[in-house]
Amino acid sequence: MVNSGINKLPLRIAVYGLIALLTVIFGYPFVLTVVNSLNPLGSLPTLLPAGFDWNNYVLAVTMIEFPAFLKNSLIICAIYVPLTTMSSALAGFAFARLHAPGKKLFFLVITSTMMLPQIVTQIPTYILFNKLDFNNTFYPWLLWGIGGAPFFIFLYKQFFSSIPKELEEAARIDGCSTLRIYWTIFLPLATPATWTAAITCFQWTWGDFITPFMFLKDENYPLATALATIGYHLPDNPNVVLQQPSSAAAILFMIPTIAVFFFGQRYLVDGIAAGAVKG
Amino acid sequence: MMLQTKKWRQYGTFYAFVSPWLIIFITLGVFPLLYGLYLSFTNYTGFNMDKLKFVGFNNYKTVFEDSESIYALGRTLLVTAINVPLSLAIGLFLAILLNLKIKGLSWYRTAFYMPSVVPVVSTVLMWKFIFSGEGLLNTFFNRLHLPQVSWLGYEYATTALIVMLLWGAGSSLLINLAGLKGIPADLYEAAEIDGASPIRKFFTVTLPLMTHVLFLNLIMGSIASLQMYIQPILLTGKTLLDPPIKPNYLYLVHAFQQIFAFQRFGYGLALMWVLFIAILLLTILVFYSSRYWVYYETEQEV
Repeated sequence: MVNSGINKLPLRIAVYGLIALLTVIFGYPFVLTVVNSLNPLGSLPTLLPAGFDWNNYVLAVTMIEFPAFLKNSLIICAIYVPLTTMSSALAGFAFARLHAPGKKLFFLVITSTMMLPQIVTQIPTYILFNKLDFNNTFYPWLLWGIGGAPFFIFLYKQFFSSIPKELEEAARIDGCSTLRIYWTIFLPLATPATWTAAITCFQWTWGDFITPFMFLKDENYPLATALATIGYHLPDNPNVVLQQPSSAAAILFMIPTIAVFFFGQRYLVDGIAAGAVKG
Repeated sequence: MMLQTKKWRQYGTFYAFVSPWLIIFITLGVFPLLYGLYLSFTNYTGFNMDKLKFVGFNNYKTVFEDSESIYALGRTLLVTAINVPLSLAIGLFLAILLNLKIKGLSWYRTAFYMPSVVPVVSTVLMWKFIFSGEGLLNTFFNRLHLPQVSWLGYEYATTALIVMLLWGAGSSLLINLAGLKGIPADLYEAAEIDGASPIRKFFTVTLPLMTHVLFLNLIMGSIASLQMYIQPILLTGKTLLDPPIKPNYLYLVHAFQQIFAFQRFGYGLALMWVLFIAILLLTILVFYSSRYWVYYETEQEV
């Protein structure tokens, strides 16, 4: 047995004790934030609940234009996430199963763009979009979405490469076109990769505040940018941060990403395993 | 003849499939990249597009003569040198713990992985509160009768940043767990028959067979750490455009400042290109060295 080592009782207790301790360390910041988001406004932080005040959540949503920012976040994600996933799947399939001159070079290019600091292309793009009058619109996300993302192309390539050749050949003998083979055989088989890509992409897009900060103006900010730049302050003294509504907003803002993670956890485990380990 | 057309057809299909990526990559990837490279050789400051002056390597010379950028580079290397190995070690340790066939694996996996799912804005809001003067960490220290610490002050700001970063060390957990599952059980059995202790098994079986996963984590972790600017700005800066406290003034923070606070686009872009090239060289070096310390079970097609 691989793990015969922890069959002894004292060792088992030690292992579980360690895991419990680590769970507390990793989980406690969440607990503290929730506890303090429910404490009375302006109170000092406490390690244990000192009250149960939903009002901080009301303040978090009403002190800034929360619904409008939320709408912008949703628009950006709705444009970018499905497009990126679809486009990356197409390119990943081509790199895994089709042949053409230049393929190796392009794939090398894709893997090297993964290490390019995004901001190196974003700033010239900003200057460019300014000339095209694209800034302060959502068009940039449409274009970026069509372009896919190198990381997901890589993930799909790994996934599609692992699918047996026989499936493809059988379909080809039946006279299926490549697009049909892709759509009816490969894409359904790649469901774990698709969920992994879509979930990861959503989490990036939802949390990305720097791109909207560059390309959009206040009224079109998504929640991430609004929380990072506007925040919650005392109306007559912007230096005083209102901790309880801030904590409440931090919690509200992370709920979608956590929910999506829980929903897609089992796919993520498969998808990441397939994408990363066979590397 | 038939084969020839079939071949060309396949080429066409390949290019049709990659065309969305390729077109956008050329227009919104390659072109801005080269445009940025060009601007890094000019005195562009945001308003003078009409009378742009070519300044040669001046901006690049400034990168290496500017004491701020050298300082920022030093801090970045320091943070990376602490953050990356510790993250790697913690990520591997957590995975090994969870791979011990324990009950409730998925719950613990979720608990350790959760911090890396939280958007950075929320992470920083949480930790800023924990670290603040009358924050939770000091309240906690007070209970234990320990002295109060100014976590976000000059002395401890970098420690605070690294603690916050390490909280997310579980991000490599899923990859590590998958890697551990891929280690053939018969190797452990063989080691056991030879009477190897658990520690010896770790060093002779687990670690060598995890090198390809650790290698991936090392590359991705180092790149991310060298390019870090959002976390220090949000954690230890007043607003997005204010410089963070000096010890957390990292390299890309400096570039960000030059561009967004001072409109020195040319210089800022030169800073970024220097970093980009450094990362590229570093990655090539690590890739090259990997043949000496990374073990692959099958022949790799590179």
